[in-house]
Order: sequence, then structure tokens, then C-alpha cells
Amino acid sequence: MPKVTRRKFVQGSAVAIGGGVVATKFLFGPLETLASAGTTAQAGPVEDVIATTCWIGKQDCGMLARRVDGRVVKFEGNPTNPRNVGTLCPKGQAQIQALYDPNRVKWPLVRTNDKGTTGEWRRASWDEALEMVADRVKEVRDRDPKLVLWQKGRSKAKDFYDDAFVKAIGSSKLGHGAFCSDAGYRALEYTLGTHAVLHPDFRYCNYLLSWGWNITNAGGNKFCWLTWPRHMVKARERGMKITHLDPRLRSAGPFADTWLPIRPSTDLAMALALCHQLIEQDYLDRPYLKAYTNGPYLVSANGMTVTETVGEGDEAEEIPLVWDEASGRVTRTDEATDPALEGEYEIEGRPVKTGFQLFKEHVAQYTPEWAADITGLSAAQIRQVAQDFGSNAQIGSTIVVDGVEVPYRPVGIMAYHMAQQELGFQTARAMTMVPMLVGAVGAAGGQLSDFTWKIHKNYPKFEKLTVEDPPYDFMLNKSKYFPINTGFPGIVAKVMQDPGRYGVEELPEVAILHYVNPLNAFPSQQDYLDSYGIFKFVAVVSPWLSETADYFADVVLPAATIEKYEGPISATDQYTDAVTLRIPPMEPLFESRGEIEIYMDLCEKIGVLFGEDGYLSVVNKELKLTDTEFALPLDQKPDVRDIFDRWAHSQGIDEGIGYFEDPAKGVFVKGPVAPTKMYGYVNDPPFQGAVHRLYGASLLDAQRQMQEKGAEEIYWQDYTALPTWRAPTMDHSPPDYDLILISFHQIEHKQSRTSFVPMLAELAPGARLDMNPEAARQRGIADGDTVIVESHNAITGETRSLVTTAAFCDGIRPDTVGMPHHFGMWTHPQNKGQGASANEIYFTGEGYMTNTADQAFHVKVKVTKGGDA
Amino acid sequence: MAKYSMVVDLDLCQGCRACTEACKIENNTGSGIFWMHVFRFEEGEYPETKMSFLPRPCQHCDNAPCVKVCPVGARFKREDGLVLTDFDRCIGCRYCELACPYGVNYFTWQSPEKSHYQDVVDWEDDDLALVTGGLVPPYKNPDLDLKYGEEQRYTAGGNHAKGVIEKCTFCVQRVEKGMNPACVETCPVNALIFGDTDSPDSPISHYLRVRQPWRLLEEAGTHPRVMYVGGKPPNPSLKEIERPKAEV
Repeated sequence: MPKVTRRKFVQGSAVAIGGGVVATKFLFGPLETLASAGTTAQAGPVEDVIATTCWIGKQDCGMLARRVDGRVVKFEGNPTNPRNVGTLCPKGQAQIQALYDPNRVKWPLVRTNDKGTTGEWRRASWDEALEMVADRVKEVRDRDPKLVLWQKGRSKAKDFYDDAFVKAIGSSKLGHGAFCSDAGYRALEYTLGTHAVLHPDFRYCNYLLSWGWNITNAGGNKFCWLTWPRHMVKARERGMKITHLDPRLRSAGPFADTWLPIRPSTDLAMALALCHQLIEQDYLDRPYLKAYTNGPYLVSANGMTVTETVGEGDEAEEIPLVWDEASGRVTRTDEATDPALEGEYEIEGRPVKTGFQLFKEHVAQYTPEWAADITGLSAAQIRQVAQDFGSNAQIGSTIVVDGVEVPYRPVGIMAYHMAQQELGFQTARAMTMVPMLVGAVGAAGGQLSDFTWKIHKNYPKFEKLTVEDPPYDFMLNKSKYFPINTGFPGIVAKVMQDPGRYGVEELPEVAILHYVNPLNAFPSQQDYLDSYGIFKFVAVVSPWLSETADYFADVVLPAATIEKYEGPISATDQYTDAVTLRIPPMEPLFESRGEIEIYMDLCEKIGVLFGEDGYLSVVNKELKLTDTEFALPLDQKPDVRDIFDRWAHSQGIDEGIGYFEDPAKGVFVKGPVAPTKMYGYVNDPPFQGAVHRLYGASLLDAQRQMQEKGAEEIYWQDYTALPTWRAPTMDHSPPDYDLILISFHQIEHKQSRTSFVPMLAELAPGARLDMNPEAARQRGIADGDTVIVESHNAITGETRSLVTTAAFCDGIRPDTVGMPHHFGMWTHPQNKGQGASANEIYFTGEGYMTNTADQAFHVKVKVTKGGDA
Repeated sequence: MAKYSMVVDLDLCQGCRACTEACKIENNTGSGIFWMHVFRFEEGEYPETKMSFLPRPCQHCDNAPCVKVCPVGARFKREDGLVLTDFDRCIGCRYCELACPYGVNYFTWQSPEKSHYQDVVDWEDDDLALVTGGLVPPYKNPDLDLKYGEEQRYTAGGNHAKGVIEKCTFCVQRVEKGMNPACVETCPVNALIFGDTDSPDSPISHYLRVRQPWRLLEEAGTHPRVMYVGGKPPNPSLKEIERPKAEV
């Protein structure tokens, strides 16, 4: 077999090698799986429409594919989908170019040169490529399945990939959350029990704190960009006001009624000062704080909650004690009728305080004047935000929603990636406490998070954090470093480079990279360059040849883009429940295949497709088909369409998959979400029984365990019962690193997955450094100058640099510079000349991650004129 | 007869340029050509900075200067308000481009094969033809080649042949099917409203009854059929940011 070099490959000119093998699977000829009128020979073009689901972004909007003679000519929004109601964003529109991109991976590739440099490839058959992957997985799996690592960037059918495939082979798993909002997820799982970050109830909200929300450019909690702005503009038409806390104005565009340009990485100080002010200005919802938070729980002088043991053996339960105002004595919380929120009491002669009392005393130091110095805002501005938030909360009021009386607190916070800073976990905790104080959590118009109040499994788990002695697994689970651990590719990269340093004995040997590109998309590039070569075998499942594949893949399996069955996909807009599927608008292009097919074949070759714990069995469980008449037989490989047909029937849809293939239907709308589901106060029981953790005794307990096990201060310092401010590590960089680098998302792109789509790259063409004109002039830099951006690691002293172009921007703080994060790629010809990625000069690891093993996207830099563009 | 207009609600516009992309795909325009362009502006010094967005399609003027200067009658005004170009008749003199105060006309300097992202795609590659069916672009819209209106003229842009002028058509090929222009249909926040201002019951007429519109360069006397609500007319203190790769 002749070699296909990368250059030839990306030019698309290597196709003929091996001789005209490709013509059979294209979009000519009838689609086997679809009722298609458009493919038979008739006079004139024949049009039809396929209902499908967007693939390029995060939230999977409903689409209609207009086809002419069986060929897709345009995607439009599907009006019946509640999520996007007939509309599409620029990426949704432009993805047709991604579909027809001649630079997709066309067939399975096998590496022919050494790893760690640009790849050279030969074409392989699917059978050969899958066999190679299966052999390596089998060999390692027989010794220890956890040494196989499945890593994803974006997964569009979690049930089939993250769950069924990973469970079937028993591998370790890494996601992208540590670069996204997982520190915030952990903070809310800890604090409220919900698996989410913060968003308001836009339907009734009157005052929104848009906290680092990239309103006009990026998504938010649970949804992508499109659905949130739809809710936001409607709320503004109703009169909702937006106070925007962000170093950049570009995020809010014209939608900030007030812009407060906060210094990056100081959000914890701001949140604590707001708590201080809400208490001082007496905007407190005491009934909520008493009934639904652990504020009344009595805490002893050692910082631990005082409890009474009830029951024996396995039945034993620790019930917290409170001071009951009604009886004037200490009682178990389940026996108290009026627990005191504040105060200092005694139990058997020893002093105890309520959690809320400790919180109040703790935040007393965080005055607006104190926070002003740190955040770069004025004390008056901070007071005003607290007053606006508190007064708009209308504490004590209720409204009737769909016949149900619900507490009404029309104030909330919209925040998404706010936790991706060094103090992120405690920042997200403190930000959640702001609406907690006014009773807005779970109220109409108030603070929502997940779409339900289902208690996440981490909520009970976090009641007692376990810290073990080494050796640790390569993810450092239950380690003295991260008692709460998101699963962080950055720290795995660090561990792989120096396992002894972290008490790790066994490293992963095989990686299956599912549409993920750490080398470009995650900080820090150097750490992935230095670690992914250590994998003995790397298989990549992706439609494009990522930079990571280019350097480190042994085998590349070409996945289809939108041309496949995938799902089930939620189509809710938060207020209406709906579900849909991705339906292939045409056969997969080239020799690409849908991932479900790829994983089924792989499982078959590994020997884990059939039988009780096999892939199909897990699919049955994930789709809730087990023990139903629609369950997949465990002894035969199904057609992917048949799986979804069974699932559709299990949903009570008589037409089965045909319902979703019918463009007049396409989306299964279940109806409005009941207020009793949406608002935690009126759940039965309220908040599904969760007690919101204002005081975090188990965090303090974890800190003590970490100290006992000999962890250094940098790991345990932020495990505090109450969010506690400290200066971020980067502030210890020398004073000539006088700017903070942030990176941001542009609406035209989705992470690093679209910068090679010509139509999008035309609108947002490349890297730049947004710089305040005054700050630039002080450094002798003019608009458009080539500049060197050099970062400094305050722990190791290491410096890194990149070259880019200064772009004057009055909507950014003078001490802050910003770069879009979509560029710095090199395998696709469209990426040529797009410039660098900030991920090249960010750091990861100690000082540049959270205490929950999540990446921080802040670093101190100096910017100087010069360099070769 | 219907009289078509468009309202752009700047209180809603997110500046996302979905309209730009929907237009480019619907109308198969080449690289650097933006029949629907969205400006992003910044104004004022930090921290007193403001931002604004301005979508700019062809204004479909009732007193269109481009129509007056066309020496061959290729640019013409239809009864229903649309200002269109008969690409079959256009001689590429570019008078319309000079006459228009809004900069909405684009001269096609290159053949479609060269204007469609030629720097990254070789449309003549044999293997690529297996995917594209030999079509440029591969999402080619057959409606663009047809004749429209009572006049039965080639007004939908066709294949963007080299040497003619092209601009926004309000998606004549869609409007004649009773559909909205592609930009209007895709707008994620429904900031674009299209319809018949002669019909009192049309959504656009409802809109105009409650919102006071303004027009771009009102003083030019062009009487645009594109109207803006919210925001404010652009002024020289605005600084354009985040320009596309090609000059507009």
C-alpha cells in the first residue's frame, strides 16, 4: 500500500491512491434507511426535506435539511423544536461546509512514521484498523481495564459512548469538563445538590447579575448560545435589567444596563462582599435559610457540625443538632419547630455557634471597601449591586404559576465558566450563596441551576470526603491532592510525566480519543506534547485529523459528522419538555461511519458486544429498554436505526423511528414543564429533600485529612468550610508581568472545531490580542502591531511566549488582555495563518488549577512590541 | 399588490451574523461577499464604552439611485418593492456600486470556481467531484438560476458569473414561494421582520404600529424599504471592530 503523506492527505489529492474505491458510498443512489423521494431519476430537480438535529455546536438545535436530488443544499431551523424554534446560529448555518469538507478524514488511517511529529499515514480497511485497536485494547484490558483511557471532547450520544462503550470495556474515562465548568458543577453539587451551574428563571426574572456571561458570543449552563439570548431578549422586553460583571464589554455587547469591569480572578472577593452587604442591608430570607439550608446547624469550636447518632449498626444516622427557639433548647433538627438561624449556644458546657452565625462572622471582614481594592470596582458600585439584588428580590412575596403558588424572588445570576479560575470552586460556592441569602434559589424568577432538583450522587458523597494514602490511580482519585476530583486531563498529563511525584504506580497504556484535541484545545499544550507520547497506543475517532491525532495517533477512525443516527437528544428550552433524534440527511460521506456503529464493531472484536454485561446490555439499561418488549436481543448486532426504533416505541411513539424521520413531526414535544418540577420550593418534598450547604464542614474535614497525609498547602488551602479569599497564585509573578491574560469564545466558532470551516473563518479569521488602547500606548504599541505575549508561572518560574497582533479595544480593562481561543491549529489548510492559541502559553497544574482539579484560564503576562508574525 | 419591507430590531440583534451565513448558503455567494453584512461597533473610551450592532442588507430603496444610473435597465425596481438585478442583462459597469450610498453592491471579480473559498478547496479535483456532484458550491441552490416576477427576469443571482454585479435580493426565490428571506428565517432572536406593509394584518405592519422606525442615511432621500427600530443611526464616532477577512 503506498504511503499517504499528511500533505497529500489534507490536499485531498491522495484519494486516487489505491484505485477508485470511494465512489460507492456517496450521496448518489437511494438512501437505504430513509423514505427518500429525491433520489429517483425524474425530470428536473426533486426536492425533499429531512428533519434532523444540528451537530456542530453544543446544544443540538432542531434542523430541516433541504435536499435537492438527494443532496443537502441547506440546513434551516426546525420550527417545531422548542429549543430553537426554526432559527439557527451562524455555525448551524455554516456546518454544511463542514459536511462537504474535502479535508475530512476519508478512511481509516494507520500511522507509518514515529509519533511526536506530523503524521504520515497509509490507508487501511475498516476491518484492519478496528482489529488493530481491538487487539491493543484486549491486551491491556486483560491486565487492567482501567489502563485503557477513553477521552472525549464532545460526545453527542452519551448513552452509547460515555456510558455503554466505557462500561462495556471497563475503561477509565476523561471528559472536557475540567476545562469547561466542572468546578462550578462540583460547587453546586456540594452546595445545592444539583448537577449544574447558575442560570436565572428568565420567564420572571427582573434583575440579572450577568457574571462573566458571554451573552452575545457563547452558551451558558446546559444550553448553547442560541436559546439563552432568546430568553434574555424576551426578559428585557418585559423590563429585566442586566448588571454585567466582566473584564470585557464585548461579551454583553449592547445588553449591559450597567457594566462593571471586574478584575479577572477576583470574583470570590466580589461574591463575599455581596454576601457582606446583603447581611448588612438586611436582605435575608430567614424562613428559607432556616428551613432549607444548614445555616441553623450547630457547629462546635473545632469547626465540625454537632450531631446525634440515631439508630444502630447499618441503620445508624447522624442527625445534626440545632437550637430550637420554640423549646429554648438544643434538639435534633428533625425535632425542632423553630431552629435558630443565628447565635451562640452551649452543649454540655462547650460553646457552639450556628453555621449561619459563623458565616456572618466570616464575611464581616469582606467589606465593599476591602473588595474594591481587589476587584478594581468602587465600594459604591458593590453596595449598589447588593442593594439592587436585595431590593428586587421582594423577599417574602409569592406568585401563582400555572395554578401553583410559588415563592417569587425575581433576581438571579447567570454564570457559566466562572469556575475556571484558581479559586473557582469556592467562587462558585460563594456566588451561589448570594441568591441563597435572599431566598431566590428555586423561586419563580429566581435562581435555577439544573432543569430539575434531582439530587446528584455527589451530594451525599460530599458529606464525608475520603482521603487515602498512595498509591493512587493516574486520575488521583481519593488522593490527598484532590479529595473532590473532576477528572482532569491536565493533571493526568502531569502524572504521566512524573508518576512518582504524585504517588502513582501505573499509567494508562491505551487511549481512545473521541473527538478531542488536547494538544490544541486544552491548556497546556506543552504538557500534552510531553505526555501523550507515553501512551503505548492511541486510537482516534474523529471526522477531522486533529493536532493530537497528527502527533500521537496510531490509528485514526473517521467518524461521520451529521450523517448518522444519534440520540436521544433533549429538545427542551427549559419551559417545554421535548426530545428528538439526529437523523442522517444522507449516507455518511467518504468511508466515514457513525460512532455507534464504530463502537459496536469495536466491541464485537474485543468480545464485549454480546451477553449480560456487554455493550448491548448497557445500551438497554441506558435507554431504559431492559426488561421491556423493546429490549435489544443480547446475541445479535442490531442496525443503529433499529435501536432508535425500539427506543421510540418505548417512549410510547407508535410510529417508532418513523415519527422522527417524518419532517412534519421530527420532534416529540411532551408539553410544558410543571412548576412543581421547575421550582425547588414547590417540589415534593421541597428541593427533593436537599439541605443546602451554606457551611461546608466536610471541606474542613478534608483539609485536615490532607494535612495528616502530608499534602502541601497549595492543595489543601482552599478546602475551607466557608469560601475564603486569598490572592491567586499568579499574583506572585514578578511585577513586570503586569497584565492578566484571559481567553474568550467568539460566536462564529465552537472551541477548536470550526476554525477550519471557511465561511466561519472568513467572519472570525484568527487570533488577536484585545488590548485597552491606553495600556497599549503606555507600552508603545499601536493598533495592529505585532506583539509578543510572554506568560510566567509563579510556581516554577517557567516562561512561555507567543506572537500575535494587538487589537485596540475600549471595552476591556487596562490590566487585562484577551485572546479568542479558537485558533493555533495546523493540520487543516484553512488553519494556515490563523495565528496562535492562548493554550500555548497558559500553564496547568499547581497554581493554575482549582482545588477540585479543574483548569484555571488566567495567567500573568507581559506584552511587548515586536516578534515575527 | 404586496409591498415588501424589512424591519431590523436593534434592541434584539446579537450581532451574531447567522443572517450573514444563512444568506451566503441560500444565495451561494462567494468568499468576501456579504449581501447581508453585520457591523459590530464600539464607541467611547474605557470605561464609558458602548457597543452596538448593525445588520445591513440592500435597503431596497423606493427612490433607488442604483436603478437610475443603470445604463441597460438591469437594475430595476419591482412593483412589490424589491430592487433587483437581472444578471443576464448586467454589463458589469459598476455604476450602481458607485451610486449606492450603502455599499451593498458586490462586483464578481472571479468565476464561482475561484470565488468559493478557492484557497482551501480545489473544486476541480476529480475526487472532490465525487462528493460535490461536480457542483460549485456543493450546496448549490437550483432556484437561483430561474426567472422570477411578472417580468420573468433572471434576478436571483444565478451562478454568480464573473463580471456582473450582485447584491441582496430579499431572497426573491423564497419570497415568491411565500417564504421569508433566509436571513429573517434564521435570526436566533427574531430581530429581522419581513413582510407586506400594505397589509394591515401582517406582522411587520403590527410592528410598525408600535415602534417608530428610522432609516439609514434618511437625508439621502433614497426612501429605503429597510427600517430600523431601537438603537440609533450610526455616526462617525463609531469604531468598527471584528471585521470579516474581506473588506466590505
